[in-house]
Formats: sequence, C-alpha cells, structure tokens
Amino acid sequence: MVRFKRKWYVKLMMAVLIMVALVWTLVPIYIVVSNAFRATLDIHQMPPQLIFKPIFIHFQRIFEFDNFGRFFRNSLVISTTTTFLSIMMGSLAAYGVKLCRSSWGRRLSNTLLLGRMVPAITILIPLFIMMNRAGLTGTRAAVILAHTSLTLPFVTWLMTGFIEGIPDELLEAANAEGCSRLMAFFRIVFPLLRPAVASAAILVMQTSWNELIFSLQLTNIRTFPLTVGVARYVGAVSVDWGRSSAAATITMVPIIIFGFLMQKYLISGMTAGAVKG
Amino acid sequence: MKTRNFYWSLEKGDLLSVLLILPTFLIIFFIMILPLSYGFLLSFFDVGFGLSNPTENFIGLDNYRRFLNDSIAQRAILNTLIFSFGAIAGTFFFGTVNAVLLHKLSRRFSAVLRPLLIMPLLISPLIVGLIWRYIYDPQGILYWFLGLFGLGIQHFPGVTASSTALLSTIIAHWWQVTPFIIIVLTAGLLSIPEEYYEAAYVDGAGAFSSFFRITLPLLKNTYMVILLLSGVDTFRVFDIIFSLTGGGPNNSSVSISIYAHSQAFNQANMSYAMALSTIAMFITFVVFGIPFIRHNIKKSKS
Repeated sequence: MVRFKRKWYVKLMMAVLIMVALVWTLVPIYIVVSNAFRATLDIHQMPPQLIFKPIFIHFQRIFEFDNFGRFFRNSLVISTTTTFLSIMMGSLAAYGVKLCRSSWGRRLSNTLLLGRMVPAITILIPLFIMMNRAGLTGTRAAVILAHTSLTLPFVTWLMTGFIEGIPDELLEAANAEGCSRLMAFFRIVFPLLRPAVASAAILVMQTSWNELIFSLQLTNIRTFPLTVGVARYVGAVSVDWGRSSAAATITMVPIIIFGFLMQKYLISGMTAGAVKG
Repeated sequence: MKTRNFYWSLEKGDLLSVLLILPTFLIIFFIMILPLSYGFLLSFFDVGFGLSNPTENFIGLDNYRRFLNDSIAQRAILNTLIFSFGAIAGTFFFGTVNAVLLHKLSRRFSAVLRPLLIMPLLISPLIVGLIWRYIYDPQGILYWFLGLFGLGIQHFPGVTASSTALLSTIIAHWWQVTPFIIIVLTAGLLSIPEEYYEAAYVDGAGAFSSFFRITLPLLKNTYMVILLLSGVDTFRVFDIIFSLTGGGPNNSSVSISIYAHSQAFNQANMSYAMALSTIAMFITFVVFGIPFIRHNIKKSKS
C-alpha cells in the first residue's frame, strides 16, 4: 500500500470520519438494546442516561405473556431446518451439475440466480392460496419450504462454483479405489466444500432468521417466528417501547453473535455473490 | 479393477445427476415457478379472500385497467423507484468513502473496525425500521440532538410529514446496507495491484486523482454487479417501511410491495394484488434483470 505523506489535518479528518462512522453505526443498536433494560418512563428521558440500573421486567413480560419462548423455538427450528435443507440440496445439485459435465449445467445454475429478481410479494400471494388449499398454512413446514426456495438458488450457485474447482483427478482416483459416486460426495467433495458450507450457513441462517413477509402470512400463533412476534408490536399506531425493544434484542443478539463468529465466511460469501455476480 | 466412467452419460441410462438435481428442481418448481404462473393466471380473475374456487370469475384485464386508474398504486410505483434511487445513491456514496478510508488504515486497525461496521447487516430490516422509529420519535434522540443546535421537528418533520417520510425510510436503509457496499468494495480494492498506485505516485498523482483514474475504472465491474443487486433488493422493499412508517402518512411512503400486501391481506383483493405484484416483477425485470443478464453474458464471453 502506498502511503501518501499525510499532513496532520488529513489524519485528523480521517480520525473524525471514523468516529462518525462508528457512532452512526453503534448508537442505534445501543439505543434499542439499552431501552430493553430501562423502565418505560426512563426510555423517553432525553438526553438518555448512560449509566442506569438495568431492569428485566420487559423480558419477563414478553416471555410470560407474549409467548416469546415459543417464538424463539420456532425461529430456531425454521432457520436451522432451512439451512440444512438448503445446503444439502444445493450441494447435491451442484455435484450433479459437475457429474454431467455439460455446459448446460452451469447455465442452469446461472439461470437459477434469476430467482433473486422475483419480489417476495409476487410469490407470496399465490403461494398463500396454494398452501391454504393444501392445508399447510400455519405450519412451520410452509415457512421452511418458502425460505428454502428463497435461498436455494444462491446456495446452488455458490456450491457449483466451488465444486467446479475440485480437480477431476481426485474424483477419478476415488472411483478407481472403488468409491461409488455418491460415497465420493460425502467422503471427498463435501469435506472440501467446508468454506462454502460455512458461508452458505451464515447467509441462509441470517436470511431465514430475519425474514418477515413469508412468515407473516404462512404462520399462526402457534408457529410464529420471532420476527412476526416483533411485528405484532409495531403494527399498531403506538409502539410499546419497552416490550418491543426487549423483543428486538432477543431477536437480533443471537444472530449478531453468530455473524461475529462466522465473520470471515459471511464476508467471503457476500463478496462471492457480488463480485463474481 | 475395472474403472467405471465417473461421469454421466445419457446413452448408458445413468440418471444419478438427474436424481441429484431433482430435489432442488422440485423446490424451485413448486415454490417459485408454479406460484408465479398461478399468480399471473389469477390476476385475470376476480379473487377475494373466500378461496373455494379462485378461477370462477374471469374478468380479463380488469385488474390491470384498475391499476391505470389507481393513483395510490401509481404513487407506490413512483415511491419505490425513488426509494431505489435514493437508497442506491446513498449507500454507494457512503460505502465508497468508508471502503477507501478503511483500505488506507493499517490492516490491524481495519480488522478491528470491520466487524463493528457490519453489525447492521445482520439485523432484520423489520428491526431496523423499529430502531429508526425510536430515533425519529418526536421525543426521541434525533430531536434531542437537533435541539442542541436549535433545530426542531419543524425543520425536519421525519416520519410525521408526507414530505419527508420516504426520505426517512431511505436514511434507515442507508444505515443498514452501507456496510454491504463497504465489504464488497473492500474486496475489490484488495484486488487492485499496488504497483498501479506506486506508478501513479511516482508520476505525481495525488490521492484523489489516483482514486478517479485507477480505482474507479478498475472497479467498474464490481460497481455494475452491486448496482443491479441493490436495484433488485431495493425494488422489493417491504420490512423497513412496514415497521417504520407503515406506508404513511397519507400513503406518502407506500411501496409497491407494501401496497400489494395490504390489498391482498387487508382489503381482500387477492387478484388485484397479484396483478400489482406482477407489474412490480415486470418492472424489476426490465430495469434491473435485463441489464444483469446482458452483463453476465458479456462477462462469460470475455
């Protein structure tokens, strides 16, 4: 990296810009998380007290009266199942594309990406009617299927790119030693896909965990995920600040922690999607 | 040992690859292609919420004609286009500035900053809208902060007035999506060989001119791809508006997804909503899809 000789005011300006970027990013998150621990009256006090005694009443209420324990379990089941299905199906399909060794396979997986262009609402309304007639609305399966179809095109495309890079010799050697092609997938290909699987895992998990519009219509009170639980506080004219902050905190903290742990893969997955396009 | 052919050959009737691709194909078919076709078909019928037999009342193009006379729907399309444009312009500007800035810092320092800066990306847009609803609250932190400079709600009415509601949602979107642009551009910046900058430096180019002469032209492709991806993503905006303004006041921030959703599930005009969302998909495809495909074809040729 060339380092242009920087004058002191350039350094100062950079420092200021970084501070602004940090404050801009972190303050909104701090506001919602800290509100979750404040008494309702204190939330409206400006300037906000930086040091205060945290209370847990809002959390207690949303778990006791608003079923957030159940919503949390639903979110967990929906997002982990979606992640598993999406990765399994996507990588198997990508392996299928590799095995048939024809250019239409690659083209097929590129065509799948067109699915990204379809607005969720365009699928949702007819899907809602179809699911209703099939008696599936209100089940977690309905949301899992919707989320899987939402993420599968990208996962398949990502895996196709990775599997293409696996040398043919490796597969042929496995074959020569009597490894069937399906066994070769689980013994050789899948372990090599680990970075792609990690990227797909965090991206799919994040998408499913945070998804609202499908979950909103395809679930009922027994199967609501967390996002719908939060949405129930904001639908009204006024917002219950304490409870909605607690609900938002419960919803966002786990996925932020997961994202932190998987940072490297999150970044590589996003750049793969954007840069290779 | 006899070596079987590892790869698929149709002539031998080997169907393994078909079997491997089949589950993905079925999901895409049943949860994407079929609903899309069904929705397109139903947009020519009159479908309410009573779903006993959706294909009962054929009304031809009436739902599309209704769109031409529906000023709120047209407003929604216009709002969505404005949202896309404003969202993209802002995220690109702030994303570029921050990416270049991070790139100039020492590697250790930017390694500390990056995870903090990407936090908004992990938060559900629904919650982003909620957070900003606190911020824009007349008793919230924004007006307290503006008050320090003697400014008040009359200077920037935020989500309470038709004139600024849409802008308020765009700002909340900037907050969430700028980190994505930073991440992608940072990867792009790392791919530019340092020698280019060294050569420019020797030739006496400053930081700004080397940005415009080297960085921008070399990142053209990256910008193109994220432009189209952002376009597609912003054109279907729903969650952030849903929780921040709900489309109001006075439909001033209603997007096409919000409007179609409320037509379908609040007004029970299922088929009209399907016509609206078909129109939305068509616009997405024309404005962003066709350039995307052409870009991909061009790239795979070169």
